[in-house]
Amino acid sequence: MPRSMQLHEERVATSAPECQAGVLVVRRHHLLVRCSHWLNVPILLGLILSGVSIYWASPVYQHKPDPLTGNVDPLGDVGGWICAHVPGLHQYSSPPDWVYNHISLGPGLLASALRLHWLCAYLFMLNGFVFVVGLAIGGAWRSLLPRRTDLRDALKMFRYYTGLPLAVLTRRTWPHPRFQTKYNALQRTAYFSVVVAGLLSVFSGWAIHKPMQLYWVTATFGGYERARIWHVGLMWLFVLFVVPHVILAVADGWDTLRSMIVGWSTRAERVEDF
Amino acid sequence: MRLEDERSAPMANNISSTESVSPPRPASFFEERPPQVMEVAPQLLRHWTRRDVLVFGMGAIAAVAGGGSLLPESTLERLGISHGKTNWPKKEWLLNRVLRIDDDVAEALYSRNRVVPTYAKSQITPLKNNYNGATPNPSYIPEWRLTLDGLAAGLSVSLNIQNLLASFRVHEQVTRLVCVEGWSAIAWWAGVRFDELLGAYPPMSRAKWARLESSVNLGPWGNPDPYFVSLDLPTARHPQTLLATHLNGKPLTVEHGAPLRMLVPVKLGLKNIKAITRITYTEDEPGDYWAKRGYSRYDGI
Repeated sequence: MPRSMQLHEERVATSAPECQAGVLVVRRHHLLVRCSHWLNVPILLGLILSGVSIYWASPVYQHKPDPLTGNVDPLGDVGGWICAHVPGLHQYSSPPDWVYNHISLGPGLLASALRLHWLCAYLFMLNGFVFVVGLAIGGAWRSLLPRRTDLRDALKMFRYYTGLPLAVLTRRTWPHPRFQTKYNALQRTAYFSVVVAGLLSVFSGWAIHKPMQLYWVTATFGGYERARIWHVGLMWLFVLFVVPHVILAVADGWDTLRSMIVGWSTRAERVEDF
Repeated sequence: MRLEDERSAPMANNISSTESVSPPRPASFFEERPPQVMEVAPQLLRHWTRRDVLVFGMGAIAAVAGGGSLLPESTLERLGISHGKTNWPKKEWLLNRVLRIDDDVAEALYSRNRVVPTYAKSQITPLKNNYNGATPNPSYIPEWRLTLDGLAAGLSVSLNIQNLLASFRVHEQVTRLVCVEGWSAIAWWAGVRFDELLGAYPPMSRAKWARLESSVNLGPWGNPDPYFVSLDLPTARHPQTLLATHLNGKPLTVEHGAPLRMLVPVKLGLKNIKAITRITYTEDEPGDYWAKRGYSRYDGI
């Protein structure tokens, strides 16, 4: 990429006093992005906790009633299995509820869960709106846009990540694939997808919430029952995103975490290639 | 293992050597802009880091405290955080405020001219008996009467099912009933339009609401537990709001609210009161069985 030279020549002037031993830093995340990123943590946690409580009232996935227990819910089966096989849980009062009792707000709280879900949902929409508008005005959406080379590059990154633990253990050199963009292809795919998933969860949420007045939204998702499957599936997508996201961010070190708090990174050397 | 380095590095070198003097101009509108690099003094860097980590850290503490206090009391007890009543005074107010905002959104979305999707009779799905308590004993049905109160005429009117079926046209519709719990069912309903009842027995001019009551409703142990819902008159006048008498071509059974139940597809199932015994028109919003138990009051869907 062409900009390496100029960037060093016309370093952006700062209010910093002139100092001999300056540190090169690169701006990573705008204040709005940092705020909306961290706000998503409590909001998504609230949405998932209350969402599981709502799901519990009428599970989306059901199978034929179990001949012994009459249970129709796969998550109930999981709870039953856990209580039957995990030592110390054999006396658990209601095995089918075990999973829900541990990942939801608690039993008999549909009304509370709905109120909390609406609160978090409106905050999520507001937060997402600020993020998307900021992205559009600031032009940062360009860093998130998928490219034609992304599939190949994402596979490279995937290979790098999966091979890294073994390489560290066997003390082999395992260089990070080079890239000249703000995000690598795997990050870009993930961050772009998660924004789309956020939009889809908002729309599938409205499809379930107002299936009569907004029936055209519901119809886009293939009807009311399918919209519920979409909505729950998108929650799983968020969970699938968050787990490696947290692991990778922590593994990447303090500089990465700090860039989401303070906004800049001292890894300006990567920008040399820009 | 050096694999990818060679492949991408030459490209970067080539381009940067060809274009080194002109100001950075992105090739296309969609191309990523170069990042901002700046040089700062290390002390300043440390100062900024300290400041922002403190600010975001305080934000995180506030979020944990604020978000945690919004959780239901029983959840906090399960987590071992609180014991007994330690409710934040504004908590109920805030959560109810959110519910009201959501109701206002639903009310804004309502249109008399927007009809809900209808289905073919082949798409009918089973409808479960979702009486919250015990199902009433059908002995009430022979003596059943519907009382209308709050009418323009000032007097109450009492009707039996024959009066109703004789004086009003029976309309049919196959619509979806959506429960607050999340399940739904498509059923074939028939009944009289609430709008036509309102036309024949007009409510008092100041009336904005209807309170519908079922005095035969039972609690979970078979104890009398009258069920009541509030319904705004615009929704009552919706062409698809029925006082239903038939389900799937047969007169309503006791499980589904014989002999007369409300069918209001633009509202959640809990507003579709079964075995209506009294309709009262009021100026002020009447109480609602489930709203008193923490659910929304408007329930428009």
